[in-house]
Amino acid sequence: MADSLLAPRAGIDDPFAAAVHATRMSMAIVDAQAPDLPIVFVNDAFLRMTGYRRDEVIGRNCRFLQGPDTDGEVVKMLSRAISQGEAANLDLLNYRKDGAPFWNALQISPVRDAGGQIVYFIGSQVDVTARKAAEAALEAAAAEQARTAQQALADRTALLHEVDHRVKNNLQLITSLLVLQTRRTQDDATQAALQSMLSRVSAIATVHRRLFQSHDLERFDVATFIRDLMGDVSSGREEVDIHLDLERVDIAAAQAAPLALAVNELVDNAFKHGLAPDRPGRLTIRVRRLNGHYVIEVCDDGPGLPETGEFEPGFGLTITNLLAQQLRATLAFEPGSPGVRAILKLPAHG
Amino acid sequence: MSRPLSVLIVEDEVLLAVELGFLVREAGCHEVGHALDSASAVELAQTLEPDIALVDVHLADGPTGVAAARQIAEGQGAIVLFMTANVKRLPEDLAGACGVIGKPYSDRAVRRALTYLARCLQDGAAPGPPPPGLALSERFVSRWGVDQLAQAV
Repeated sequence: MADSLLAPRAGIDDPFAAAVHATRMSMAIVDAQAPDLPIVFVNDAFLRMTGYRRDEVIGRNCRFLQGPDTDGEVVKMLSRAISQGEAANLDLLNYRKDGAPFWNALQISPVRDAGGQIVYFIGSQVDVTARKAAEAALEAAAAEQARTAQQALADRTALLHEVDHRVKNNLQLITSLLVLQTRRTQDDATQAALQSMLSRVSAIATVHRRLFQSHDLERFDVATFIRDLMGDVSSGREEVDIHLDLERVDIAAAQAAPLALAVNELVDNAFKHGLAPDRPGRLTIRVRRLNGHYVIEVCDDGPGLPETGEFEPGFGLTITNLLAQQLRATLAFEPGSPGVRAILKLPAHG
Repeated sequence: MSRPLSVLIVEDEVLLAVELGFLVREAGCHEVGHALDSASAVELAQTLEPDIALVDVHLADGPTGVAAARQIAEGQGAIVLFMTANVKRLPEDLAGACGVIGKPYSDRAVRRALTYLARCLQDGAAPGPPPPGLALSERFVSRWGVDQLAQAV
């Protein structure tokens, strides 16, 4: 279809020039062949946007629109495009005549003559200050949100530390109270009962110390716990040779205290019944995975199970059975060779 | 044997301090004093010149144990051992302390640690790696040659 713009209109010699003059899109044309690319044409929209008069801009290079906060990198990109005769789209911070900055979404294109020589560059400018402000506001809001989230996390961590600290101090207080009363007690049976309670509270204390030392608050490392626990027990009974054969096994943190108590009772039981005082003995603790179960064995080399196979469960054994129930574990005592083998078997992902 | 180690207890929880006093004596050491806050801790360290100070981080006047420990370690030259539930809050150099026992500790762990430190002080070298429950600072690991022990094994 033929271009019909060139049809005559009253008072219009050049319809393109008339259109460019009248459009609300700011436009400027610079001479690509004159030194320093002087402006040879601007439309009214350009003058409205920049606040200059026509005679103040014609003949000058466009850089007079730049100012202190204009990004030098963007200016370099613009110069590179011009020197290579390429089109470019850039957002550039410019300044009006009154000094007020505005964001200029600048598009420039080379204009070539019939021989392919670049004779002009035509640039169009859109004031995108509002868009830029909205973008900056969004960015600021996002940064603020990130900061708030970070603060919330820091608060939570601090709170967790504080609670951890208080629990540890309270456990320490309970332990010290038990030890103090044990010291004052003359009666052997009472003293033994207090000692047992102390060892139970210590087992829970060890769990708590371990739980907060690890990076993962959800999981509990059974092998490390047993090493800690035996570190405390062994020094009281130098004559017993303690052998640990521990695979790394992690259980849910919620199971840590009941399991620790159960293991503590089994060890206590072995010391009381399997390893007579002042006799060199051997205590073996094994932890391993077996067919979807964690198997914890506490073995002594003592006199073995009572002949009848029936024995009156003491308080320690009673609570061990209850704890096993809670852990959905099974507890069995088998004859060792020699001694007794206590086997606690719990589902690996219970 | 040489004279028993003199120990200053810096702890605002009185029941803990009393029990700690028993443990100190059971470990063959000699308790010379007890401070509840940082000011009296530093003052007692100056007047009593203990061999070792057992220092909690939270004292009666706030979380001042670290600063008090640094003053005692640098000023009086006593060996400082932290006993705290706040191990993670201690500065990396342990404020000049020789080590830390985390609360809740067991009575055995404390007796063992004190016996061990007594040997270190007496011989100027560690008899072996530190017992379970006691963590030594880097400075004292090298002072007492614990790092060389580890290499020898």
